Amino acid sequence: MAVRAQFENSNEVGVFSRLTNSYAIVAVGGSENFYSVFESELQDIIPICHATIAGTRIVGRLTVGNKNGLLVPTTTTDQELQHLRNTLPDSVKIQRIEERLSALGNVICCNDHVAIVHPDLERETEEIIADVLGVEVFRQTVADNVLTGSYMSLSNQGGIVHPKTSVRDQDELSSLLQVPLVAGSVNRGSAVVGAGMVVNDWLAITGLDTTATELSVIESVFRLGEMAPGGAGAGVHKESIVESFY
Amino acid sequence: MGDTVRVEELLKRPLYVYDLPQELLATLSAKTANQSVAEPSTEDDPKDPEVAAQESAIATSTQCSLCKVSYHNVQEQRSHVRSDHHRYNLKSQLRGTAPLDEVQFAKAVGDLDESISGSESSESEEEYVDGSADTTLTALLKKQAKLSGASEEEDTIVKGTPKNPLFWLSSSSLPSNKSLGVYRAIFSPAEQDEPGHLVDTIQKKQLAPVKARPKNAQAQQDPTAAGPHIFMCMIGGGHFAAMLVSLAPEIHRKQGGVEERQARVIAHKTFHRYTTRRKQGGSQSASDASRGAAHSAGSSLRRYNEAALEKDIRELLADWKQMIDTSELLFIRATGKTNRKILFDKYEGQVLKQNDPRVRGFPFNTRRATQGELMRCFKELTRVKVSEVDEDALAAAAAAAAAKQKEKEESKPSTPRPQPQKPKISKEEEAAQLHTTQIQALIRRSKVPALMSYLSNNSIPSSFTFQPTDSQQNFRCPTPLHLAASLNAPAVVSALLTRANADPTATNNEGRAPFELTGDRPTRDAFRVARHELGESKWDWNTAKVPSAVSKADADKRNEQEQKSAETEEKNRRRADLERLKKEDAEREAQIAASKPGRTLGAVEKTAAEKRDEETRGMAPEMRMRLERERRARAAEERFRRMQGS
Repeated sequence: MAVRAQFENSNEVGVFSRLTNSYAIVAVGGSENFYSVFESELQDIIPICHATIAGTRIVGRLTVGNKNGLLVPTTTTDQELQHLRNTLPDSVKIQRIEERLSALGNVICCNDHVAIVHPDLERETEEIIADVLGVEVFRQTVADNVLTGSYMSLSNQGGIVHPKTSVRDQDELSSLLQVPLVAGSVNRGSAVVGAGMVVNDWLAITGLDTTATELSVIESVFRLGEMAPGGAGAGVHKESIVESFY
Repeated sequence: MGDTVRVEELLKRPLYVYDLPQELLATLSAKTANQSVAEPSTEDDPKDPEVAAQESAIATSTQCSLCKVSYHNVQEQRSHVRSDHHRYNLKSQLRGTAPLDEVQFAKAVGDLDESISGSESSESEEEYVDGSADTTLTALLKKQAKLSGASEEEDTIVKGTPKNPLFWLSSSSLPSNKSLGVYRAIFSPAEQDEPGHLVDTIQKKQLAPVKARPKNAQAQQDPTAAGPHIFMCMIGGGHFAAMLVSLAPEIHRKQGGVEERQARVIAHKTFHRYTTRRKQGGSQSASDASRGAAHSAGSSLRRYNEAALEKDIRELLADWKQMIDTSELLFIRATGKTNRKILFDKYEGQVLKQNDPRVRGFPFNTRRATQGELMRCFKELTRVKVSEVDEDALAAAAAAAAAKQKEKEESKPSTPRPQPQKPKISKEEEAAQLHTTQIQALIRRSKVPALMSYLSNNSIPSSFTFQPTDSQQNFRCPTPLHLAASLNAPAVVSALLTRANADPTATNNEGRAPFELTGDRPTRDAFRVARHELGESKWDWNTAKVPSAVSKADADKRNEQEQKSAETEEKNRRRADLERLKKEDAEREAQIAASKPGRTLGAVEKTAAEKRDEETRGMAPEMRMRLERERRARAAEERFRRMQGS
């Protein structure tokens, strides 16, 4: 399912939140509207954590994570780290990383199996990513852009890349990641698809400006529609739904 | 449609020789050796099966447009993306410089001359084990065309390219243009000799995969329970890598329940020591052997490191002795004398033997000895190669070969091979040739008594001419006398004329008598003396072009006279020279005395301090101090004297 939301008049929901298959992190805001969107979709499924990172609200850009773990930059305070540890499930490994490129959400893009990272990331960081997140790490660029986390949005079902990514690059990346990819935009033509939306295997949240076309592309590539596998209309449920129409 | 899906399913994953799918194994059959087979061309991508709707959407472009390379499967593509080469290109692209292809990159790394120890990227120690580099169909066809054109004996073709490092198999469950290749090197010599039983051998070799154990349990493994395993090691340029790897694959359960086979490494170890001479190349020991021992700090470091590396390696081999002895095959890359010596030289507790039938090299190019490279080699060795041949090209090649064959057969009877008719040498000629060499050697060394005794012992006639007559030397000097004359050997000439009764009138092929070949006076005198001794009637001396006779006494006297006159002349010359020199010396001195000692133009008068400086330059400090002291003492004395005088 794909829903639209706004964080204090900003469409860049990926900046202020992080969504994975086992937890969600939402920035502390003046109004609770944004939080309530998450709550309505995810309550009782996965824990939602109100947090700041290094005293800022741009939690989505500073952190990176998947269902196995969460990586936070070195600027994270001990208090914040402790709060995250208390809120997130015990199975999620949380690790602070000493890395010059501290906006981890901008330089790393991952699902539960693979991660595409900035070419200049240090080797130690790469190893920590592989260990904590349990992923294979590849250094790549997206449409000749090093900020893979900003220009790519990835789940286990599919991914969206920068709208100007060449078809050949898409094919290569898709083969490398073993998920289908499309080039697309969010928030009425914004190319920063990573920062403009958050996605996990069953939910995508995009900015309020996202057009219907963009939303339909997102639903189809991430398989969030009702008729997609894993959706409400797939598999065994299909008959019962059809039945109810009579 | 269903059939093709099944085939693609079979070939989707890389095939492991020791764990082939059952349905493929059952249908395997060995290909006849003279069938043309090409290794996979770069274009063919194995297509993913359309088992799930999702997978159909996943692109299968397993190539890297940045580095301009393409791969057969995702695993290879992924390992490429993790390689140094790809990372380098990625960064150079960001810098705005042109990316390098693989060869350029290897060269660039070599030029860098940095020790990137443990990195895969350097190909500085590339080794060319076997000519298996030609992968494309065209290259293979070309090669075959050359083979059939050049080879005269047909049975090598029938027997089937003994140099081909791969055995080719086909399977009825695969399309006819697909064939599977297995490295020859993974079979024992006995198994290699019977290509007919190849399929049975492969079926016997199958091993059940082993479930991966939890990580903590893996630490204490019983090495004896390892099952069939192989030993691989590489040495080169101070790098050493060795690995014991089990042939039974291990199944790892990855995220998402995907089972993945992996090689189970029983033990591995790598060493690196600085032994190779920077920028010069070659090992220190080789340089010492050829150029003498250098005494630089670097050379002694390298010498020490070579010894240490040898010690490390031998200790490791001793540690692994049990496992090495039980391993099925030993793959060893050690090029160069020093490297082979480390492994195979006789030493106490030697583990590897050169004549061990299990020992073999890697039948492909290998790079710097690292753990990663060993792993790559293992994968390469045990992976079944899938090759696809274009049927049309194959048919065309076969037709061309047949046509050529036919042509050759037709042309054969019409032009019988010209037998190189070697002229039969008679026994006499053989003897004459032997005498020729002997006599010529004796004349060259002016061994007169030996020559005389040789001639008399073998009863060689005076009219003997050298054999064979058409050689260049014998053309000019066909008789012993000619040779002696041309070599200016007066003793030999007179001996041949007076004692061996040689004919001075015989002419060589240029129509010249021996006398005309003489180069100096004593030889000419030898002829004239012989004329005097033998008498005018013995030979026609005018035909022999020998001038008037001279008695030996006369000749000697004349020689003596000449010598004497030459001596006196020489004496006179010397005296004159001496006088001239004396005169010149005197003149020069007079000139110097006459000219006033002037200053050189432009020279600056040196101050006293400068002069003192010049004197003390280059002296040891204590020496300089002593000089200074003496000088001061002299000055003091001078002052005293002046004071007393005043």
